[in-house]
Amino acid sequence: MTTSGDGSLRYQEGGNVHLDFHGAINTTIDFIVERFGVAAMDAIFASVGRDVYAGIRRDLLAGDTRQLVAHWRHFFDREGADYDIDIGEDAIVLTVRRCPAWHHVQSLVGRVSPHFCDQTIRTNEAMAEGSPYAVDTEITGPGACRQIIRRRS
Amino acid sequence: MIPSDHFTRFYNEVFKFLETQGEEALEAYWLAISKNQERHILELIQTRGLDGMYEYWSHIKIEENCDMDIDLDDDRLELRMHLCPSLSKVMDNDAAPMDRYCDHCAGWIGPIMDKTGYHMVYDAIDRQKPQCVMRIFKDKDKARAAETGAELLMGWPGRRAD
Repeated sequence: MTTSGDGSLRYQEGGNVHLDFHGAINTTIDFIVERFGVAAMDAIFASVGRDVYAGIRRDLLAGDTRQLVAHWRHFFDREGADYDIDIGEDAIVLTVRRCPAWHHVQSLVGRVSPHFCDQTIRTNEAMAEGSPYAVDTEITGPGACRQIIRRRS
Repeated sequence: MIPSDHFTRFYNEVFKFLETQGEEALEAYWLAISKNQERHILELIQTRGLDGMYEYWSHIKIEENCDMDIDLDDDRLELRMHLCPSLSKVMDNDAAPMDRYCDHCAGWIGPIMDKTGYHMVYDAIDRQKPQCVMRIFKDKDKARAAETGAELLMGWPGRRAD
């Protein structure tokens, strides 16, 4: 697949990493789903994908996948994930063998929300909405997934 | 995965949604976060008091990359935040900041201090600036006296700012 922009990141944090924030995300998901339902949680994740990641979304709308791939690399490296990215002719595939967020929550509280991975599924969908690409997320196991960028047919 | 680096921007979106549901929803959420945070700080406070708080926030200062001074004496702890990474990220954001973003901090810490018998004075100074001063006292009268000098005194669930 080809990209057209320079792929520079809108957000590129450095310094130390505070993994306990993933625990707060898990608590938040439980709270919102219990009080307001899954649709409300999905809408919040969609606002993250659409508004917080407006730069990635803008690039995808312009046919440029480079910032999203750079985003994956930067933040999965920072959090020590076990992953790889395969850039092919027809698809870009991110394979996450060990998600640092899921595993940190599991070790912290012993119970990961069944909706925890919706943060990935829904933000990916929202970033890609209306663009030439679909960004699909397949959960392949506990704390593991495959995220695939494909040109829509 | 929403990166842990981007939690505060996610948090901001949650606050904006909850604000549309009313004040009770926001306060219930702060209490849920407060309960979540108890696993990190409650035992430290219950066993070591102000020293335990000092240890907790010294760890946070490093992990969250805070430009912050922490001062401890026999009867109070003072955190003086010069550049808050949380509000800084929310302001450096393609999504709009929630106007009362700063309120969450007193919103989760205050209930823990009430539970453990300490007295917090949280001066947010200005919600548009990433700086604040939090003081935690053993003595209630000293806390009430310190409130008079606050520029923007914050309340929390169970305690309204006067």
